[in-house]
Amino acid sequence: MTIAEDVTAAAPATVPPVSVAVIGTGAIGQDLVSKIHRSAVLECALVAGRNPHSGGLEHAARLGYPTSTDGIDAVLAAPRPFDVVFDATNAQSHAEHWRLLRPLDTLLIDLTPSKVGQMVVPTITGTHTPTERNVSLISCGGQASTPIAHALAAAFQVEYIEVVSTVASSIAGRATRLNLDEYVATTGHALTTFTGVADTKAILNISPAVPPATFRTALHAVIPGATAEAVRAVVAEAAERVRAFAPGYEVIACGVDGDRVVVSLEVIADSDVLPRYAGNLDIINSAAILVAEQHAARLAPAAGTGAAR
Amino acid sequence: MNTVVIHDPTLRDGQHAVRHQLGVAALRGYAEAADAAGIPVVEVGHGNGLGASSLQVGRAAVSDDLMLSTVREALRTSKMGVFMLPGWGTCEDLRKAVAHGADVIRVGVHCTETSLAERHLGFLREQGADAHCVLMMSHMATPAELAEHAARVVGYGARAVGIMDSAGHFLPQDVTERIGAIRGAVGDGVPVIFHGHNNLGMAVANSVAAAGAGAGIIDGCARGFGAGAGNTQLEVLVPVLERTGFRTGIDLYALLDAAEFAERELMPAPPTTGSLSIVSGLAGVFSGFKHQVLDLSGRAGVDPRDVFFELGRRQAIAGQEDLIVDVVAELSAKRAAA
Repeated sequence: MTIAEDVTAAAPATVPPVSVAVIGTGAIGQDLVSKIHRSAVLECALVAGRNPHSGGLEHAARLGYPTSTDGIDAVLAAPRPFDVVFDATNAQSHAEHWRLLRPLDTLLIDLTPSKVGQMVVPTITGTHTPTERNVSLISCGGQASTPIAHALAAAFQVEYIEVVSTVASSIAGRATRLNLDEYVATTGHALTTFTGVADTKAILNISPAVPPATFRTALHAVIPGATAEAVRAVVAEAAERVRAFAPGYEVIACGVDGDRVVVSLEVIADSDVLPRYAGNLDIINSAAILVAEQHAARLAPAAGTGAAR
Repeated sequence: MNTVVIHDPTLRDGQHAVRHQLGVAALRGYAEAADAAGIPVVEVGHGNGLGASSLQVGRAAVSDDLMLSTVREALRTSKMGVFMLPGWGTCEDLRKAVAHGADVIRVGVHCTETSLAERHLGFLREQGADAHCVLMMSHMATPAELAEHAARVVGYGARAVGIMDSAGHFLPQDVTERIGAIRGAVGDGVPVIFHGHNNLGMAVANSVAAAGAGAGIIDGCARGFGAGAGNTQLEVLVPVLERTGFRTGIDLYALLDAAEFAERELMPAPPTTGSLSIVSGLAGVFSGFKHQVLDLSGRAGVDPRDVFFELGRRQAIAGQEDLIVDVVAELSAKRAAA
């Protein structure tokens, strides 16, 4: 499989920057802006929200980026379409955003659990060649669990997979809270799609603990005949590949009891704006940035020859 | 004489005591007995509610669909209740429950995370369903916080709201303060719910305190059937409420018969206040963790009481059973290093 190379291949630093916009100014949008700020190939051209008092807009303005409180309308009003638009709003709004942006030559990268776009998990699908211009990053629990689930299903006969993620209350914004049903449906759908296992289940807990608990995902599977040693090897290898773009991704426990497998994962955030416990946002945003940077690399030759795009 | 509506989650919360293994005959038999006693609401489901059958907390012996259709058929006058935790069940599960004829639909959320119920309570309001909201692990919040969250969920569409003493941590004075604060925050038209657990032997006393403070809906389970030390023992609660001056409308002999049936057909033995139940009550941890704590700590050779206190220190809430593995591994490693 060549996917590991795909994941670890950094976008060439010589690529001319592509223009990107971020819609949504909650914690996830704010972290996206900070990651775009770090990127050599992504140029933040607009941060659009609805709430004039949101910390996300202030943060973007402080970094010197154009901001607007007109949401999607500000994106549509741009003189030429952005190369990439990140949607960090909510699942209901995303469907409408896609309808409006579809006619434009823009790659829409969806951070909401809308289930609308083409699902991308860097270590499974790669990030080089989405065939559609709407890419779904599934969910935080999906990004944390599917790499392990996919590796287990490739190595063993898996009968059932269940993932239970726990997010700290202080980092679960209003959209997350209103989109629990979409989270459950979309994460379960991704598990089935990437493992071929029909019987899957996703659960989300919000932890009120103070100090806040680090984002964690427990993966339970029924795998007849699996040995602890073989499972640990498969899990360790899959986790190593995820760490190529999300360095805070850790296997905390991995146990086998009869046909029951339990893998506990934690993600510590590597971010300029997020607390360390907010690994849920870090892993999904890191994957989103990877997709955008690979898209920038793909656009580069066209830009170099001056071809219209 | 004041009236209290008794809500009976024997066939839902009791499931925690038997790893969610109640079968169809048990469900039908108890529902018929409860109906005969005139118990107003009989709640049924997996211990964690609709859509919650899972490896994380235990897979149910019977599907949600079969549980609901079985109990629905068995009830002639009693209402059927269901329970659902957002993040576990979804609006689709609620829609199915309404289609199955569920009369009372309870949405449970951690006591300070009520915004998680906004969507589901709104959905139930649109459906015209009798939606309740219960604030779980309520010992983790102050009376003022509970009152604020209770008022908020009424705004979302809850027609009744209340607290669960999920860890069995409260003493009667705690309950009086909290029910009083909620009562004052939600207005007279909204019944207030109390759901007790018996970890510290206080479930009936706490329930009487709740009724005295103005709770209009009180939960109880036959023989206290529930996780660990169990819930409030229903057939004790009802006559005690009557003697205290609260009418329940329940027939005493038929209630005692239902409890006999429950002891014989639902449980290997009635709940007792064992060491671990006392510890989980003191530590403020849901007793539903008991089976997994015992299994895993037994294998690792660590003291299950230490596991409960550590889970309490980490502020584990219902649904976070996956933390048990980590805590046992950590305590086991500490022991090896010592």
